Amino acid sequence: MCSCRTYVPVIAAIVIPAFDLRAALRLHPRLQAKAAALAPLPGTEPLIGSVTGLAEAKGVRPGMRLGEALATCPELELVEQDPATAEQAWEEILRRLEDAGFGVEPAEPGTVYFETKGVERLYGGLEPALKRALAAVGTMWDARAGAAERRFAALAAANVARAGQALIVSDDRARSFLAPLPLTLLPLERSRYAELEELGVRTIGQLAGLPGSAVSERLGPDGQRAWSLARGEQDGRVSPRRTAVALHETLEFPEAVGNELTLRRGLAVLLDRLLARPERAGRPPRKVAVWARLVGGASWRRTVTLREATADPVRLRAALGSKLLELPAPALKLRLEISELAEHTGEQLELVAAAGDVVKGQLREGLRQVKAAVGAGGVSTVVEVAPWSRIPEARALLVPRDD
Amino acid sequence: MVTHPGSARTARTARRLNSPRPALVEAHADGTPRRINRQTVGTVREEWRVVDRWWTEEPVHRRYFDVVLETGENAVVYRDDDAGSWFTQRA
Repeated sequence: MCSCRTYVPVIAAIVIPAFDLRAALRLHPRLQAKAAALAPLPGTEPLIGSVTGLAEAKGVRPGMRLGEALATCPELELVEQDPATAEQAWEEILRRLEDAGFGVEPAEPGTVYFETKGVERLYGGLEPALKRALAAVGTMWDARAGAAERRFAALAAANVARAGQALIVSDDRARSFLAPLPLTLLPLERSRYAELEELGVRTIGQLAGLPGSAVSERLGPDGQRAWSLARGEQDGRVSPRRTAVALHETLEFPEAVGNELTLRRGLAVLLDRLLARPERAGRPPRKVAVWARLVGGASWRRTVTLREATADPVRLRAALGSKLLELPAPALKLRLEISELAEHTGEQLELVAAAGDVVKGQLREGLRQVKAAVGAGGVSTVVEVAPWSRIPEARALLVPRDD
Repeated sequence: MVTHPGSARTARTARRLNSPRPALVEAHADGTPRRINRQTVGTVREEWRVVDRWWTEEPVHRRYFDVVLETGENAVVYRDDDAGSWFTQRA
C-alpha cells in the first residue's frame, strides 16, 4: 500500500481595514488620531464611508447617514475621498508584493489574495512567507494576513487577525473557526444582514446550520453562495493578475485649468508622449486611465477599457476626451496612464471603410451590447423639446429606445 | 391564455434631462449661499434670476448662483422662491 500526500495549495489573504480612509489620511496625518470618517461623494446619498478607530469607539459606523453620524459624534472630522491617491497607493502595495515573488489577485483596494505554493520554499515555510508579505505591504498600513485552503476562510482569518499578525487556519478546523464569526464577513447586501438577524441568525455557524434549500428560497443565489461559503465549501483558486505596465505621462499646469479646450489639448500632448514611449514596443493600449489633481487637493480618476485595443491617437482622444467633461473642478495636474497593453502589435484594418447600412448595423450592435450590459432601459436618446427654454430641465428629454 | 412574462415589454418612460436635485444650503442674510451640502462656498461667480411660466398654475421663480466651493468644485444652485427650498442643477 502506498501512502501519498497530495500538496493542497494554501490561499493567503491580506486585508488592510478601511484602506480608502487610510490612503486619504496620508495627506492629513493630524487626523489619524482623531475621530474621522470619509465624507460622502458630492451628489451621492449622504452616507459616510470608512471611519477611524476613535470614531468607531464613539459610536460612528461606516454607512451611517451623515446627519446621524454628526449627531452621534459632533467633533467628527470629515475627510474628502481621494480615489486616485488610494488607487496609486494600492498599486504600489501590489507591486511590492509582486517584487517579493507573490502572484497577487487583488479583490478590491485593501484586500488581496495569493497562493503560497511557489514562495513557501523561498522563504522557509508558510508563516515566514506570510510575514514577508506583510513586510512587503509595510507597517504603516496595519495589514493582517490569513491563510487557509479556502479563499473565504483565508479572508475571515485575515479579518480576525490583529495588525501585523498572520493567522493560519487548517482545513479540518475551518468550519469550527468560521462558526462563531459574524455574518458581516460574508459577501451579502447590507439589508440581508438585518434580515438574517431578525430571523435570529447572527453567526456564520448558525447560517451554515440552516437547510440549503430554505436559504436559497429566502435569500436567492447570493444567499446560497454565502451559505456555501459559511460551510467552508470550495470557492475557487487564485488567478494572479497579469503584471501591469507602468507607463504614464504627467502635465502640470501653471494655474488651475477648467477650460475644456485647454484640457483636451493637454490630453493630446500627453497621449502623443505616451504613444511615443519605446517601452510600448508597438503594442496598442487596452486600458487607459486619466487622472487629475484638483484645486483644493482632491483627486479625480477615470479608467477607460477600450473594446478594441488601439494606438490611433484620434480614437484614443475621442475615448478619453469625453471623460474630461466629468471633471468636477479645475485641474492643477493631468496624468495619463496606460494600465494595460494588448499582446499583439498588428491591427486588422478594413479594406473598405464602413458606410451606410454597415455603419447603422455597427451602431445597432454597439447599442445591443450596452443594453446587454446595463439592462433594457440603459440606452436612451436625448430629444430636444425646448432648447430655447430658460428652465434647464425643460430643454430636453431622455427617451428610452428599444431598437 | 397566459402571456409569457419574458415577453412583456418594459414601459418606455421619458425622463427629464438635468432635473434639479434637492440641496442642503446655508445662506447669508443677503440670500447668497454660504455652505452647500456641508461644503463652504469659496466664491460666487455669477448670479441670475429665472422668472417664467408666471401665466400658468406652476410659475417658476428661481435665483441661480454659479459658485466655486472651497474644495475647488464647481456647482450651480438655485433657490425656488415659491417653495422656499434649494436645488442643485447644471445650468
